[in-house]
Amino acid sequence: MENSVNPQARSLIRRFLDGLYALGGALSACAVLIILILMIGASIGRQLDWRVSWINDVVAWLCASAAFFGMAYSFRNGDFVRVTLLLESVSPAVRRWMEFISLAIAFIAISYLGYWATLFTYQSWEFNEIAGNMVAIPIWIPQCSFVIGSIILMIAVVDECLCVVRGAKPSYVVRVEERHARGDFSEEL
Amino acid sequence: MGLLEIGGLLLFIMLLMLGGGVWIAMTLAIVGWVGQAYFTNTQPGLNLFSSFWETASSWELAALPLFIWMGEILYRTKLSEQMFDGLSPWLSKVPGRLMHTTILGCGIFGSVSGSSAATCATIAKVALPELDRRGYDKSLALGSLSAAGGLGILIPPSITMVVYAVAADTSVIRLFLAGFLPGFLLMGLFSGYIIWWSLRHPDKVPPAELPTTFWQKIHRSGSLIPCGLLIVFIVWVLVAGIATATECAAWGVVGSLAIAAAGRSLTWQNFWQGLVGATRVSCMIMFILAGAAFLTKTMAFTGIPRELAEYVQSLNLSPYGLIAVLVVVYLILGTALDGISMIMLTSAVILPLIEKAGFDLVWFGIFIIMLIEIAEITPPVGFNLFVLQNMTGIDSNRIARMTLPFFGCMVLAIVLITVFPDIVTSLPNWFMGVER
Repeated sequence: MENSVNPQARSLIRRFLDGLYALGGALSACAVLIILILMIGASIGRQLDWRVSWINDVVAWLCASAAFFGMAYSFRNGDFVRVTLLLESVSPAVRRWMEFISLAIAFIAISYLGYWATLFTYQSWEFNEIAGNMVAIPIWIPQCSFVIGSIILMIAVVDECLCVVRGAKPSYVVRVEERHARGDFSEEL
Repeated sequence: MGLLEIGGLLLFIMLLMLGGGVWIAMTLAIVGWVGQAYFTNTQPGLNLFSSFWETASSWELAALPLFIWMGEILYRTKLSEQMFDGLSPWLSKVPGRLMHTTILGCGIFGSVSGSSAATCATIAKVALPELDRRGYDKSLALGSLSAAGGLGILIPPSITMVVYAVAADTSVIRLFLAGFLPGFLLMGLFSGYIIWWSLRHPDKVPPAELPTTFWQKIHRSGSLIPCGLLIVFIVWVLVAGIATATECAAWGVVGSLAIAAAGRSLTWQNFWQGLVGATRVSCMIMFILAGAAFLTKTMAFTGIPRELAEYVQSLNLSPYGLIAVLVVVYLILGTALDGISMIMLTSAVILPLIEKAGFDLVWFGIFIIMLIEIAEITPPVGFNLFVLQNMTGIDSNRIARMTLPFFGCMVLAIVLITVFPDIVTSLPNWFMGVER
């Protein structure tokens, strides 16, 4: 494994993947920013008797984009919650196995999710389903965020899985440790 | 296999995966899938897709990232210093003196932030060293901080309440309004305990600082005015019904950005970091919500909750008996889980049960949130404890012991809202009319 890929190519892949996750996160963040602007617009617009009813549909789709695009980024950052009670009390070797099994289960689950997301979005496209009450656009356009988001998440799970196989700490563990070491708890609820 | 056995099997699979460290959102969806694929005649693939899409593409849910963002912005400001400076001059006459800054500070920060660990961390960051320097009792300070941090999720706006409202399909604004009185009740109980403790241990309370005149006090509190205005604004928007919860959240973000800009702590870097951090957290929560929605669908198809509700009815438990059982269940869950996961893991089964037993879902929301606050301070997994352990280096189990008296106050508050449910329901009924 270590020698099968030359280091230069590996660092290139690493940079590409990290960039991909970060891009997903940035898209999500932009969706949240646009939601903010639209909601402010809607509340002002309502007082001025503008037609603002279309905003609710668009905000709903942006909310979906915010949820889906950033999944991989959030996962890699260790924001996805899990019970770590047992993981933290077993030996490193056992822990590695448990991480591997969890990631394998996650891979199957996310692949399944991605498969159905793609299938139904494809069907929406094929039958040209029109979305929403106020804004008549084909529904597959907003649904694409679901497909793309789950594919990126699937890649991230495989990425972490390979990392555990190589014997390294998965990044979702490393990032949380770093954050807590800095005393940053802004991401715990 | 009877329905209850199927339920038991699904519960076993769930616990196995959770214990093994599978992410909670995925566990929920996988258990939902097993239930649908083996025990119903529906198409799990289609239901999975529609649960995820319908949950995420919700206009109401858009309040979630915005409220989280609001907290993230304020977390990066100097609000905590201002809070301590602004509150302390007013407290020199009260028994316990500056110790009350922990309770009041958490209460005020809780009404602009929706997270309990963030509230605890923000107030503790300044209050702990200041109280320590003046010689206040450290264990009382730590206990009150870890307990009062929970006010962040009880006093609106609250992220946990948004999540519960989506899961239970109740009104977010109703829940927000319902949170105020129990929040004040809890603050009163905490402060009451500090007063009682200080009267019993007068030797452990440092002397008052130099007396200040009324205008000096006002002057020192001046820095709190923007934050106060933000709170008044949010409460006004909620009560007057001029905006939806999502719009309220959007204005909350604008308000906190203004506060951050006025305090010169708003940089592009801070802005972006806060936004990305909030997005990541809301991604996580929305994924859990979607997984839970899928599991709820499974439960509806299999009919397990109905069967369970009938079983519970056949036990002839009194309503108080049912509540007592639920308190025990949530206390146990709370030792290992965070609040949002607790709501999501149980909503599919418990909410139908509660509705059938004739409880008000808004009341139950507040009840569950108070139990979550307790969960935040019960070891081995309690986030407020971790926050304070991280800040002070004192072991979380010791901090949990320091929190015990405040734990008692919380249990008392839960008993009070159970016996007098009007504490919860009167405010939303007053402003929004009785439901149904």
